[in-house]
Amino acid sequence: MQILSSILGYAADEPFDSALHDLSHSGKVEYLTISADDTSRRRMRAMTDKGTECVIVLNRDQQLSDGAVLSISDNGAIVVRLSQQKWLSLEAQNHAAALEVGYFIGNLHWKVEFEGERLKVALQGPLQTYLDRLELLIETGKIRALTEND
Amino acid sequence: MNDKDLRTQTTSGSQKSAARVGIGGPVGSGKTALIECLIPDLVSRGIEVAVVTNDLVTKEDAKRLQNSGLISPDRVLPVEAGACPHTIIREDPSLNIAAADNLNASFPELDVIFIESGGDNLASTFSLDLVDYWMFVIDTGAGDDIPRKKGPGIIRSDLLVVNKIDIGPYVGANVDLIKQEAVEVRNHRPTLLTDCKRKIGIDALVDQLIQDVLFTDV
Repeated sequence: MQILSSILGYAADEPFDSALHDLSHSGKVEYLTISADDTSRRRMRAMTDKGTECVIVLNRDQQLSDGAVLSISDNGAIVVRLSQQKWLSLEAQNHAAALEVGYFIGNLHWKVEFEGERLKVALQGPLQTYLDRLELLIETGKIRALTEND
Repeated sequence: MNDKDLRTQTTSGSQKSAARVGIGGPVGSGKTALIECLIPDLVSRGIEVAVVTNDLVTKEDAKRLQNSGLISPDRVLPVEAGACPHTIIREDPSLNIAAADNLNASFPELDVIFIESGGDNLASTFSLDLVDYWMFVIDTGAGDDIPRKKGPGIIRSDLLVVNKIDIGPYVGANVDLIKQEAVEVRNHRPTLLTDCKRKIGIDALVDQLIQDVLFTDV
């Protein structure tokens, strides 16, 4: 069990960039993949891609992010890697529908981003859960849920 | 590479931060009673505890804990929400953050600070800016259909506690069904059953907290 209690630096910055490059040649860099949601957590258990069990215990003034170096020595390093955020994109039929879906999603406290005329909902659970909540708006044609091919 | 050079790059070296654990759930589900059960169990394991309570316009829960004899009264801080309880655990948790910071500064030996939300509805969730981990407490007296309603508190909490399993049979609530459906809607994330009157499930709950967030075992 490895206890990781601080962010030492970031993979792209020196001296970590060079050190990680050297360690990688001998396969000594391990990655902890965490979701975007979990970057707000200061405490969690996790396992690296090479099976090392870790406990993360950060002080409250630190926050995980992609490339955060949590451990490094001549014996190896542990670096945070963010998993890709999945999104549900929505298009509204008209302005009234856009207002309605915006109000509805605000009430549900979903995380969103705007991309042109599309509203993107960050998926923090199964896609079907979100589609179930939006069922009435989709069935009445007020909004359209887009697939990745759209 | 020089290990010493790398380690001096640390971005912070401040004092120990106690784990912050949120406890939310509907009015009357037994959040304060659960804390009253957790405190002696945690203390018996050498774990240092403090509590921030949230009430709407009073300090009722704080006074109850301060007068309980279970915890030093100065380790309990009340915060009055003055409005919807979820506003101070999610939208703007600054009052609760300040209270937890104060407790951490006053008692640097703390291992855990519980932040008890005022009673709310099934949509209540905690900001991870405020807590490291949060549990949602429901009770069998509210009916055995609560998990099926899939409120964000049910779905997104780190731990779901189904409390008052002792009264389920008297109100026609099927406790086994509650557990089964809770496990399903939560995609097998932890769900525990408790009965604060008979202290059933409390040990398991403390074990879960140690495993998931306190890490006093490592």
